[in-house]
Amino acid sequence: MPFRRLILLCSLFLLLAQPAAEVRAELVVVVNARCGVAAMTRNEVVNIFFGRNHQYFNGIEAQPVDLPDGHPDRKRFYGLLVGKDLSEVNAYWSRQLFSGRMQPPVKVNSAEEVLKWVVSHPGGIGFVDLAKADARVRVVYELTP
Amino acid sequence: MIAKLFRPLAPVGLPGKLLLGIVASAVLSLASPAIAQSTSAFSLNGFGTFGLARTTTDDVEFVRDISQARGVGSEWSALIDSVLGLQAAWRVTPHLEAVVQATSRYRYDRTFTPDISWGFVKYNPTPNLSLRAGRLGTEFFMMADSRWVGYSFLTVRPSGDFFWYLPFYSIHGADAAISVPLGENILRAKAFYGHSDGRIPLADQQWDIAGSPMVGAFLEYQYGPWLARASYANIEFKNDLPIAPVLKSALGIDLSAQDAAFLATRDTRTHYYSLGLVYDQGPWQAQLMLNHIEQGSNALQCSDGGYALLGYRIGEVTPYLGYSWVLSKARGTGPSAITAYVMQDSRSDQQTTFAGLRWDVVRNVALKAQWDAINGDSSSLFPYRQDNRARWDGRMNVFSLTLDFVF
Repeated sequence: MPFRRLILLCSLFLLLAQPAAEVRAELVVVVNARCGVAAMTRNEVVNIFFGRNHQYFNGIEAQPVDLPDGHPDRKRFYGLLVGKDLSEVNAYWSRQLFSGRMQPPVKVNSAEEVLKWVVSHPGGIGFVDLAKADARVRVVYELTP
Repeated sequence: MIAKLFRPLAPVGLPGKLLLGIVASAVLSLASPAIAQSTSAFSLNGFGTFGLARTTTDDVEFVRDISQARGVGSEWSALIDSVLGLQAAWRVTPHLEAVVQATSRYRYDRTFTPDISWGFVKYNPTPNLSLRAGRLGTEFFMMADSRWVGYSFLTVRPSGDFFWYLPFYSIHGADAAISVPLGENILRAKAFYGHSDGRIPLADQQWDIAGSPMVGAFLEYQYGPWLARASYANIEFKNDLPIAPVLKSALGIDLSAQDAAFLATRDTRTHYYSLGLVYDQGPWQAQLMLNHIEQGSNALQCSDGGYALLGYRIGEVTPYLGYSWVLSKARGTGPSAITAYVMQDSRSDQQTTFAGLRWDVVRNVALKAQWDAINGDSSSLFPYRQDNRARWDGRMNVFSLTLDFVF
């Protein structure tokens, strides 16, 4: 009964695949737990990640960290934050860079390295899956679709 | 075949081929990842465009701005839009940075000779205050200091009706910029002062504007996806336009001392005012810019210009539509037929409707195609080169294709 087996296989696949898609964790913005920032608004997060503002409300310098283009969280982050494609984010940064205004945020390769950056910089700020945010960092903004 | 694209003049040939070679190798090496990845103190980045353009007339030559000595006619040419830029930056400390940027593009002397566009030291005494000194880009108008970074904007080139009159790119001087967060919004102010450093072509001659003092400032307000800016700048010219040698060589006419005095640019001041409004959120991009230029010399007409641009991204493709205009105010004829002839030359009176498509093909590479329909008066001569005044009717179409990249 190869046909029945196929159905079985398909439903098994669906069972496995569907929850995985549903529990795909929420992206959150995290800061160094000791920087004194408890919560941020969407515009405040945009201002920091686009280099328009380099300071938190309490005067501490914000030190944002980003991921490379190839990392799926980067696409999700900018898509949810400003509705922009990565090509548009990169175009923005090429204008800032080649006009001599500023360099884009430092990029690290993984969520683990984002956390490491945020913990080791007093004004560190990055974005990770909610599940990865531990006690060393504070969640200040949740990205909702 | 490719060399033929750099048609107009012989001196273009070799540097042109060189540029093409560099562009080609840069494009081939684009597999490497994006801008400034490293956390190291040194970074090297680049940008470039390979662009082709043609018009539907040979009565005038179309240029990107009046810093270019020759332009394109009815044959495809890579002359006006092709560029390659390289930037090296050294972060000495987190708050002190040294930057050098070199650019090769078609310029006043009809070559692609690379020049150092910026070379400065930047110091941030506080996170939101930035001080720079050295050779700096000037922002007479919004986005004026990134006009050659095609990848950074939507259109093939910045709107000519708005930017033609602005052949200034850099100063030797200093600037200061401060950002002040006001709740969720940001107020930003910048002021600069310095001496210009450049030349502007006039027929087969060049106008030396080196040493001319420039000063300017702007105020900018970021309100969510909205950005509004008001800016002012002026330049005081230290040299006269090379009108006498141009008249002599082109028409065999001697410029009288009286006419020369009437047309003097030396010690005159030109004022630039502008307003800009940008909306950038989700798939939408919109810009509205207005400028007013008040010329101090009788040889140059005052003008008003502006543009409106609207783009909407669908996947990797962003179609856009725009309209731009420029209108100068005639000053009469002056004391003689010669002055009348010269004064006609700085006349602009035209509107441009443009439509195009930006396609982000792969990471950090964009392909663009654009059509400009220029509808002007036959007296609109200032934006062009090599005009045939007897035949020019003020109307043309411009077709452009560009490949823009950053690395």
